[in-house]
Amino acid sequence: MTSNPADAGEKTSSNNKVIEKGDGYSIIRRSPWIVHFNTGACNGCDIEVLAAITPHYDPERFGVKLAPSIRHGDILIITGAVTKKAAERLKRLYEQMPSPKYVIAVGACAISGGVFHNSYSVLAGADKVVPVDMYVPGCPPRPEAILQGIVKLLEKIGRKEPPPKE
Amino acid sequence: MNGEEHPVVKLLVDKGLIEPSSERVKPNRRIYTFKPERIREIISTMINNLGHDYFYISTVIGTDFPDKKLIRLDYYIVLLPGEETIVLRTWLPRDNPVIDSILDIYPGVLNAECETYDLLGVVFKGNPALKRGFFVPSDLVEKNIYSLRKDSGV
Amino acid sequence: MTISKIIEVPYALEIPVGPQHPALHEPVLLKAYADGEEVVRVDIYTGYNHRGIEKLTEKNTFYRNIFIVARVCGICNLVHANCYVRALEELLEKYPNDRARYLRVLAMELERVHSHMLINAVMAEIIGFDSLFMNIMRDREYVMKAKEVLTGNRVLSDYLMVGGVRRDVDSVKKDRLLKLIDRVLPRVKYYRRVFMEDDTLLKRMVGVGVVSKTDALRMSLVGPPARASGVKIDVRSSEKYDAYDEIPFNVVTRKEGDVWARMMVRWDEAIESLNMARYALEHLPSDGNPVPDERRLPRRFPPGEAYTRVEAPRGELTYYVMSDGKPKPYRVKIRTPSFINIINTASVYVGYTVADLPVILVSWDPCISCMERVTVIDPRTGEKRKVPVKELAGGGSRRVSQRYSL
Repeated sequence: MTSNPADAGEKTSSNNKVIEKGDGYSIIRRSPWIVHFNTGACNGCDIEVLAAITPHYDPERFGVKLAPSIRHGDILIITGAVTKKAAERLKRLYEQMPSPKYVIAVGACAISGGVFHNSYSVLAGADKVVPVDMYVPGCPPRPEAILQGIVKLLEKIGRKEPPPKE
Repeated sequence: MNGEEHPVVKLLVDKGLIEPSSERVKPNRRIYTFKPERIREIISTMINNLGHDYFYISTVIGTDFPDKKLIRLDYYIVLLPGEETIVLRTWLPRDNPVIDSILDIYPGVLNAECETYDLLGVVFKGNPALKRGFFVPSDLVEKNIYSLRKDSGV
Repeated sequence: MTISKIIEVPYALEIPVGPQHPALHEPVLLKAYADGEEVVRVDIYTGYNHRGIEKLTEKNTFYRNIFIVARVCGICNLVHANCYVRALEELLEKYPNDRARYLRVLAMELERVHSHMLINAVMAEIIGFDSLFMNIMRDREYVMKAKEVLTGNRVLSDYLMVGGVRRDVDSVKKDRLLKLIDRVLPRVKYYRRVFMEDDTLLKRMVGVGVVSKTDALRMSLVGPPARASGVKIDVRSSEKYDAYDEIPFNVVTRKEGDVWARMMVRWDEAIESLNMARYALEHLPSDGNPVPDERRLPRRFPPGEAYTRVEAPRGELTYYVMSDGKPKPYRVKIRTPSFINIINTASVYVGYTVADLPVILVSWDPCISCMERVTVIDPRTGEKRKVPVKELAGGGSRRVSQRYSL
């Protein structure tokens, strides 16, 4: 390759622009890889997220797959009431995800703290730490509901709605 | 459970280390009171007579009584193989709750002692693992609040 | 036992596993120190899941707490609720009728089956046997369906109430439940055979993470890990709560004490549980309505204390409830089985390879949300090797300390 450095630089900058959040929808729309993080849940939502990736519900028809690491993930699924200790980790995990990145809050606890909202050690709500794109209510939501949440998010990405502000 | 007292309990009562109480924790679990300074003697007597294999300390429960200015400490002990649960109960002053740690003779209480310290502020003398903020958030540690005390306000 | 400050020399590789780990689904941090492939020490850090539930229960009424304690752990929510509700019943001295007691056992045994199937599936996934994971999870859906038919929800069912249960079964539901049990039982037996015979599984599990009977007692293990080491403790048989005194069952024990034995105990218990569930359905007493009128339950509790024990899928679970006559409990204390099984076993990992580490961890059936109330650094330093100063000064450069984030 003998392209001059100025061209290369321009290309990189335009690439960076493409993968900025809110603009690069088509990259993940066909096959989003999900990452799951428990921020202090009771495991109810976690086993339903686990059940949602099994053959009975067949998420791969939507291209949904569990990512091996946070650095490969496109969609972060947050369960749990976000304890103060886990909040630091959640923030760090979110920063480690490559753009474009989306967040789904699954379950009553991740939305508003659920039954734990009064407790001294929970922040009550994933949106207090990271921007959340989709909420799936339920205690716990059924696996079908979780999948529907993912599909709705993909539709939203397809419509190029602006993402929530950080 | 309504039958005879376990032989080792009888031995402890005969030695005067623990005193049977007329109260019961439902369903019908015997309560024995003891003086806090004798805890190591009691547990080592139990180990010497039963060995490590025939009893375990299920949990340690601390309860705060601000009106009495006392903290109550209960050791729940399960006697095998019958799985009879007995309660050893003691009272500590609330402004200076200190008791000897039994960590070195019975390692299984590590969790319970650390938890009781972090949540209630009972100091187990001789336990080197005691530390604030094991799991209460750091803002409570900075304010020096023990969350399970009745006047903690959290 | 004293904890001396451990000075890490650039000798062992430090591998943090978690708190976000694809295999775990739950936040726990294991810090393993490995010398080459061999694990020399493991520290366990938790506390990411502390929700302050014991304080929360003091702020809410006795009845609202039934729904809060069910959310201590979603997988074993029925046993948590059962333990708490039974403590309340002891305080009130108001006991459920026979039909309610049978229905409670039925619900709890279905929960045990799905919990054991889940952890066996996760074990297959950890080993890398993904198709087996998928198959077990597919058949687990039958159990979830049965739970839904019985309690009205797949996971968190809020099925129990003081003095009974909250839903009755009719003959249609009963037939459906029996059909579902018939469908899942041969599958569980098949998976048990797979775990018995499959070379891939046996190579990873047999002889790994061995715990002798004495060690199991000294570490005060409970539940399937203890029973896999030959310790015959089961609260169901000793406490005989609910209808366990009338429903026949065997306490499964094995002698091997390794990871494989723990998983086999779970399969055998799942078969026992399915048989118990069928027995409970077929012998369901009809001595009245098992659903209490919730509006007529007493609002005030007499002063007193109650301490109840229950056999959760993971071992002995205990609740202490104290009432001082007010509408809210004075003190609630929860002691969960995972609490013991995970924290006290940090020394078991020593001597096995890094690849065995998740296998051993999963074999305890770690339920982090259960043990959320405490975090501990284990004082056992394992077989720490002494490094001569000379080697440190000169020859130690081959092993460079690195930080890996899994």
